[in-house]
Amino acid sequence: MNTEKIHYNINFIAGLIIISLVLFFVTAGIFYTPYDPNEMNGAIKNMTPDFAHPFGTDNFGRDILSRVMSGAGTTFIVALSTVAIGAVMGTLIGAVTGYYGGFIDEILMRVNDGLTSFPSILLALVFVSIIGPGKYNVILALGIIFIPSFARVVRSEYITLKQMDFVKNAKLMGAGDFRIMFVHILPNTKLILLSSVTIGFNNAVLAEAGMSYLQLGVQPPDASLGRMLSEAQAYLFNAPWCALAPGLMIVLTVLGFSLLNER
Amino acid sequence: MSKLGNERKNNLGPSQLSDVNQPLLTVNHITVGFQHNGNINKAVNDVSFQIKEGEILGMAGESGSGKTITALTIMGLLSKEASVLGGSILFDGKDLFRLKPEEFRKIKGNQISMIFQEPMTSLNPVMTVGYQTEEMLLLHENQLKQAERKRKTLAALKEAGLKDTETLYYQYPHQLSGGMRQRVMIAMAMICKPKLLIADEPTTALDVTIQAQILGLIQKMNQEYGTSVLFISHDLAVIKNTCTRAFVMQEGEIAEEGTVRDLFNGPKKAYTKKLMAAIPDLSSRKTGFPFSDPDAVQNGQAVLLSGKEKNILEVRNLHVFYEEKAKKLFSKKTRKQVVNNVSLTISQGEILGIVGESGSGKSSLAKAVVGLIDSKTGEVILNEERPQMVFQDPYGSLNPAKKVGWILEEPLKLAGGYSQRERKSKVLKILNEVGLPDEYTERYLSQLSGGQRQRVAIGASLIRNSKFIVLDEPVSALDVTVQARILELLKKLQKEYDLSYLFISHDLKVIYQMCDRVCVMYQGEIVETAFVEELFRKPVHPYSKKLLEAVL
Amino acid sequence: MKYFIRKLSSLILTLLLVSIFLFISFQVIPGDSAAASLGTSATKETVEALREELGLNRNVFVRYFSWLGNALCGDFGISAQYNMPVSLLLKERMPVTLWLAVLSIALIIIISIPLGIQSAKKEGGVSDRVITFLTHTAMAVPPFFLGIIITLVFGLILKWFIPGRYISYSENPGQFLGYMIFPAIAIAIPKTAMTIKFLRSSVIRQLKLDYVRTARSKGNQENVILYRHVLKNAFIPVITFIAMVIADVLAGSIIIEQLFSLPGMGRMLVTAISNRDFSVVQAIVIYIAAVVVVINFLVDIIYRCIDPRVRV
Repeated sequence: MNTEKIHYNINFIAGLIIISLVLFFVTAGIFYTPYDPNEMNGAIKNMTPDFAHPFGTDNFGRDILSRVMSGAGTTFIVALSTVAIGAVMGTLIGAVTGYYGGFIDEILMRVNDGLTSFPSILLALVFVSIIGPGKYNVILALGIIFIPSFARVVRSEYITLKQMDFVKNAKLMGAGDFRIMFVHILPNTKLILLSSVTIGFNNAVLAEAGMSYLQLGVQPPDASLGRMLSEAQAYLFNAPWCALAPGLMIVLTVLGFSLLNER
Repeated sequence: MSKLGNERKNNLGPSQLSDVNQPLLTVNHITVGFQHNGNINKAVNDVSFQIKEGEILGMAGESGSGKTITALTIMGLLSKEASVLGGSILFDGKDLFRLKPEEFRKIKGNQISMIFQEPMTSLNPVMTVGYQTEEMLLLHENQLKQAERKRKTLAALKEAGLKDTETLYYQYPHQLSGGMRQRVMIAMAMICKPKLLIADEPTTALDVTIQAQILGLIQKMNQEYGTSVLFISHDLAVIKNTCTRAFVMQEGEIAEEGTVRDLFNGPKKAYTKKLMAAIPDLSSRKTGFPFSDPDAVQNGQAVLLSGKEKNILEVRNLHVFYEEKAKKLFSKKTRKQVVNNVSLTISQGEILGIVGESGSGKSSLAKAVVGLIDSKTGEVILNEERPQMVFQDPYGSLNPAKKVGWILEEPLKLAGGYSQRERKSKVLKILNEVGLPDEYTERYLSQLSGGQRQRVAIGASLIRNSKFIVLDEPVSALDVTVQARILELLKKLQKEYDLSYLFISHDLKVIYQMCDRVCVMYQGEIVETAFVEELFRKPVHPYSKKLLEAVL
Repeated sequence: MKYFIRKLSSLILTLLLVSIFLFISFQVIPGDSAAASLGTSATKETVEALREELGLNRNVFVRYFSWLGNALCGDFGISAQYNMPVSLLLKERMPVTLWLAVLSIALIIIISIPLGIQSAKKEGGVSDRVITFLTHTAMAVPPFFLGIIITLVFGLILKWFIPGRYISYSENPGQFLGYMIFPAIAIAIPKTAMTIKFLRSSVIRQLKLDYVRTARSKGNQENVILYRHVLKNAFIPVITFIAMVIADVLAGSIIIEQLFSLPGMGRMLVTAISNRDFSVVQAIVIYIAAVVVVINFLVDIIYRCIDPRVRV
C-alpha cells in the first residue's frame, strides 16, 4: 500500500516535471525562437548540434531548435482545439443521452460504438481526403472524431450517476433536469473527464503528428513535428538529429501526460 | 443420515465429541498491524481465545473492530499489507505460524475451512458450481476416482440443502440466488469434514428467512460432524441464537468474553453494555399512539382508520411496474409488476412501518409514493407538496462532489425566496438540530462517517419543513450503536415537528422500536397490516409468522 | 445459433451503414475523380465525357446500388490514378498488409502475455517496476518515430537490412520476413506496452476479488490460483482490448508502410488520398471496416465461449 503510493507519486511528479518543461518550451516558442524557423541558409546545411544551433540544422540550413519550438506549438494548438471540441460536444451529448436514455440515445450510441471501434487515424484520413489537408481541417476532423469517445465515457458515467439516490433526492427537492444534469451530476464526472482529456490530448498529439508525417496534416509554412520527421527521414544517415529532436518532443509530451494520468 | 455422516463418525468418534475440554484452536496474544505512511496501525491487538472441540464460539463486534482480520490471520489469508506482529496460533497441536507453507496449505480447506460474508462474489464466476466444490476433493483427497469425487460432491451439495444437484453441478454461480450460493459455500467448506469452520458473517448479506435456514444448516453441521465453529457476526441476536460462548471485539481488542447467557444478561464492560442497550428491545416499548382500535387489525389487506385526524397519505389500489430496459434496439420493453394492489393510509404524526425482505417491493412502493416512479396505476393522495426521502446508503444519497453546507443549502435555493444570509442561518440551525457542529458545513462527505452522513441526509430532508418523510432502510447500513442514536434522533424530530414517517425496514426489531403500525409486504403485496404490538403478539398471516420466528 | 444469426445480421447491417456513409461522404466532395484524374488542363467537354463513361451522371441511388452490387462481386471500379481495376491493385497489395498485421499481432501477443502476467504476479517487485517503467516509455513512442529509429540503428548503422529495399515474398521468403520484421516491431512495441499494462491491471484487479480468497482458503497453490482461477477471468476484458489493438495495428500500418516503403494497402491509401483517387480510398476503407467488424464479431463469439455470464 505504502510502496504503491510512493510509486504513484513518483509517476505523478515525473509527469509534472516533464510536462512543465514541455509547456515552458512551447509557450516560450510562441513569443521567441532563436532563429526564424523557416529561414533557410545554404551555408549551414545539416550542421551537427553546436553552441549556435543546440539541436543542429536541417538540410535547408534551418535551425532545428526553433523549428521544434514552433512545431510543438502547432501540435499543441491542434491537440488542444481538438480535445476542446471533443470534450465539450462529447460531454453535452453524453450528458443528454445518458440522462434521458431512450430511442435517440440508442441510435446515437450505435453510431458511436461503430465509430469508436475504428482507428481514429483512419477516420481522420477519410475526413481529410474529403475536406482536404491543412491545420484547421485537421482540427475539425480530429475534433469530430473525438466526440464519440468523450460522449461514451460521459454517458456511461451519467447512466450510473443518475440512478444514485442523491439524484432522486435532488428531484424530490424540486431540482429541474437541467440543474440535475449540470449542477448535481457533472461535478461528479470531474475525475474521469480529466483523465479522458489527458488521454484524448495524447491521442490528438499522436494523430496530428501521424497525419503530418503522411503530409496530409498541417501544411507548410506551418512547422509541424510530424512533417519534420518525414522530411528528416531522407537525410537520416547524415543528419539523424533532425529526426531525434522532433521525435523526442512527441515522446516527452505523451509520456508526461500519461504519467500525470496514473493514479 | 447420509453416507457422509457415517464416514465422519469413524473419523471423529462420539468419545471425542464429548471431550469438550480439549481446545482445538488456541489463539495466543496475536497482534496484526497494517503499514500506513510509515506508522503501524494495529487492527488486532493482543487477542487470545480458545475454541474447544465441537463448540460454536461467537465473535461479535462492530465493523472495523478486527473480526475479519482475526479470522483471516487464523486462515493465513492476510493480504500483503498486513503483517502479524506477535503471538501464536495453535491448531490441533500445531503452531500455524511455524508451519511450512506447503504443510499449512494442506490444512486449509481440509481441516480448517471458511465461509465468507458475500456469497455473491465469493465463488469464481467462470467455473461451474460442481467443479468448485469438487476442487476441494482434488486438493485434499486426490486418491479418489472421478466418479467417486462426483458422487461425494453431489452428496455434499444435497447435504447443504440444495435440490436438483445433478443440474446444479453444471451450473455457474450467477445462475444461483444468494442463499443458494451460500449453501454451495457451506457444502464446499464441509466436504472434507474439517475440524474447524470459520464462518465470517455468513448470513449478513441474506434475507431474514434465509438467514435462519443457513444458521440452522451451520448448527446441523456442527452437531452431526462435531465440527467446531468460529462464528463471526455483528448481529448480537444471531450470536445469541447460535453460540454457547462468545466474545466481543472492540477496536482490535477483546472487550469481554463469556457464555452467551452471561454476556446478554449481565454485561460487565461499559462497551458491551452499550452494545446490548443498542439492540432494539422487543419486550419494553413505550406505546402512546392514540388509535388503538383492535378491530382494525382484522382486515388483512389494509387498515383504513376512520380518521379522527387528517390523513397525510392515502394510497388506494396502487400497482407499480418496473420497466426493464430493452436489451436490443427495437425490442419491446418488458414490464414487471413489483407492487400489487396496495392500499394504505398514514395519519398526521403517525409512523407507519413497512417490513419485508429484499424484492418484496417495499422500496418501489416508497418511491412510487413520493413520485419517483411514474410507471404505476392507482391513487396516491399526499397532503404534502414536497415529500422527502432518506435513503439506506448515506454514501450514495448525498452528492459526493459537494460540501455539507452546499447540500443543505440546495433545497432552499431551489425553493427560492431566501436571502443568502437566511439560507446560511437555516443551514446552521438544522445542522444543530441533527447534532452536528457548525464547522461541518465546510466538510466534504468523504470526511464524514456513515452515521454523520445519515444525519446530514435527515437534515436535508427537513430543511424545507416537509411534514412527511419516507425513510427507506435509514439505519441498515450503520453499526448498531450508531443505529440506535439515529433512531433516537428520528423519534425526537418526529415529536418536535409532528412529522409523519413511512418507515421501511427489513429489520422487525427496528420496526418494533419505531413504528405505530406496520404493513408486512410479501412479493409485492401487503399481506398483513396491524398495530406493532398486535403483530408481535399475534401475527395472522403465515408469512408474518415466519418473519417473526426468524427474529425471535 | 440464434445468437449467432443475430450477431451476423448486425455485422452485415453495420457494414451496409459504413458503405452508405462512405458513399455519401464522397458524393459531397467538390471536384470528383473524373476532374481529378484528367488534371487542370482538361476541358469541360472531356471531363463531361469521362463523367458519362464512369457513370457519374446517374442518380445517387442507382449509383450506390450499382457500386454496392459491384463491390459485393469484388469489383470496386477503376482507379483513376493507375487506370486499373481497383480489385487488381488491392489483390497485389493486400498480402503485404496482412503479413505485416499478422507479424505485429503475433509479436504483441507473444511478448505481452507472459510479461503482463509476470508483472502482476510480482506486483511492486523489481521485475514489475522495470516492466512498468518500460511500458510507460514505450507507450509514448509513436510507431513512426520508432520506425525511424529502427531504420537508423538497424538499417543504416548495423546494416541488418537495407531501408527502402523491400523484397517480396515470391522473390525470397526468408529475406521478405527479414525485412518485414522491422516494420512489424515498430508497430508492435507501443501496442505491446499497452497490452501489458492492460493485462497487468486486469490480473491485479482479479487477484483482489473475493473468489481468490476462497480459492486460497481451500488450500490451492498460488500458481494454481493464478493459472486456473484468475487468468480466465482476467482475459475476458483483455479480449476486447486485443480486438481494439488489431484495429489499431491496421491503422498503424498505414504510416509504417509509408516509412518502410512497403507496397501495401496503407501506402496505397495515402497516395490515393493525395491524388484524390476515390474509388481506391472507398475500397480500402470498406475493406478495413470489414476486418474491424469481423474481428468484433469474433470477439463476441469468443466472449460467449469463455464467460458463462454472457450465455443466456
